[in-house]
Amino acid sequence: MPAYAIETENLTKVFRSRWPRRELTAVDNISIRVPVGSTYGLLGPNGAGKTTFVKMLLSAAHPTAGRAMVFDRDSREPAARAPIGYLPENHRFPTYLTGWDMLDFYGALSGMGAAERKRRIPDLLTQVGLDERAHQLRLGKYSKGMLQRVGLAQALMHAPKLLVLDEPSDGVDPVGRRQIRDVLHALEQKGVTIFLNSHLLAEVELFCREVAIIQKGKLALSGTVLELTSGSGYRLEISGATEQMETELRSRARSAGAANGMLQLLFGTREEANQALDLARANGCEVETFGRTRSTLEEVFMKTVEG
Amino acid sequence: MNSQLIPVLALIKDTFREAFARRIFWGFAGCCTALLAFLVFIMRIDVVAGALATITIFGRAMPTTDVQGLVHQTQSVIAMALYFFGMIISVFASAGLVAAVFEPGRIELLLSKPVSRSLILLGRYLGNLLVVAANILYLTIGSWIIFGIKTGLWGGGYLLSSLFTIFVFGVLLAVIVLVGVLWESAAVAIMVTFGIMIVTPILQQRATIERLLSAEWSRNVVTVLYYVLPKTSDIGVIIRHLILNEAVDSWMPVWSTALFGIVVLAAGILHFRRRTF
Repeated sequence: MPAYAIETENLTKVFRSRWPRRELTAVDNISIRVPVGSTYGLLGPNGAGKTTFVKMLLSAAHPTAGRAMVFDRDSREPAARAPIGYLPENHRFPTYLTGWDMLDFYGALSGMGAAERKRRIPDLLTQVGLDERAHQLRLGKYSKGMLQRVGLAQALMHAPKLLVLDEPSDGVDPVGRRQIRDVLHALEQKGVTIFLNSHLLAEVELFCREVAIIQKGKLALSGTVLELTSGSGYRLEISGATEQMETELRSRARSAGAANGMLQLLFGTREEANQALDLARANGCEVETFGRTRSTLEEVFMKTVEG
Repeated sequence: MNSQLIPVLALIKDTFREAFARRIFWGFAGCCTALLAFLVFIMRIDVVAGALATITIFGRAMPTTDVQGLVHQTQSVIAMALYFFGMIISVFASAGLVAAVFEPGRIELLLSKPVSRSLILLGRYLGNLLVVAANILYLTIGSWIIFGIKTGLWGGGYLLSSLFTIFVFGVLLAVIVLVGVLWESAAVAIMVTFGIMIVTPILQQRATIERLLSAEWSRNVVTVLYYVLPKTSDIGVIIRHLILNEAVDSWMPVWSTALFGIVVLAAGILHFRRRTF
């Protein structure tokens, strides 16, 4: 069993136009490893090269240099794509197909037999929250949210080991998003690797364990969400401090503030924070919050892309 | 079932579905049905005691002695009409079906499946060819049955002509596929294919053209173009010979056209395999 679901080595894509003679490096020497069974988010501003990167994983775009491996197989081999379920961002599903027909068609393209497809389609459509009426409705009549759901069902049709999802909850209402997240969590429990390309940073933070941020085609930052969002300091929030105690604690803290009747203190080290905590407790203060400071993924993202 | 066959059959079935949804198939079938109805209307043949008495076409009685020749002539006229006009309709119908596959958002999903690019293109090509072939066969077999019932003449030359029509369409479809892969445009595919259909009857008269050209190199160009491009007009003549039970002078137009089709389709597949979407 390979250790990585996705492994890229110096993956590069340069688009060249002959007239006028121009070159655009969309993806520049990106090397990442996505462990089997992980949930991985790919982030970056518009035009950063995320879609080109994903297209190279699926062999829709050929790399100019480097290579992409999927479960240890070169992504250019058709067999390498067998374990992949893919939901594109600006998909254009054939509008003349019904939800059922669409799953049947893409299931057949994945090599599934007719009996297997017939057995799996109703379960999947129900799983993504499409009722029986939608099964026989043409995709042209589907709403954006319904198309996302049927698109997800299409990606899951052949029980893939790797899901590559480009903006999966785009156009889906909050209830639908929750439903999609539940489906993805269930798949994660089963050991399916999920590679998520999304602009919804809060969603990525909620769902992914690891992320990579791409900026101007280059890998700007990567790591676990926990590592990237955890700050270097400690936060202590207390109430009921006397004026003298507040002065004492403020003098020990790196920074301090007050809001809603609470004293908020930030300490540089764990030792300082623990000493302040002991002092506050010994003097009858109520501790509201104590822990490491954290940034949101959005803050990390903005800091990275704005340099 | 073979794991490679399932996707190809799915692509063929999808092409049919799209042809139905875009009314291409029904439009084509409707035209064919109207033609068959028209044929029934104009072919009023009286049969007396099992023998042909008179045939009336457009209200004019024809001598029955020439009935076999007349039927063959009528068949050849219909086959020619089907060959040229049917080809024009088929090119219009197919150009959109081929270009639709390359739409952004659709092609990426197709390419993400574990099917080789060659098979994706071949599946679509075959689906398209079968959509047109089904209609050509419907019209040819339908009119052949009408002729047979009315006259008792069941010659196979007319049926064979439909296979040649499908064959030439297959070659022109290869051009549509190549242009589709290169430029993703149905309009350009139609223009290029019609260009070939217009040039080939002119090149068929190469003996006359060569007499009119003074420069050796220009005569050579005409000759090369004649041998390289598909010979739709020459094949039309072969179809006519087959229906009239006449000997075919040369089969070169058939095999050289087939060669052109194979090369063009292979070029389309090769380019599709190398393209970035």
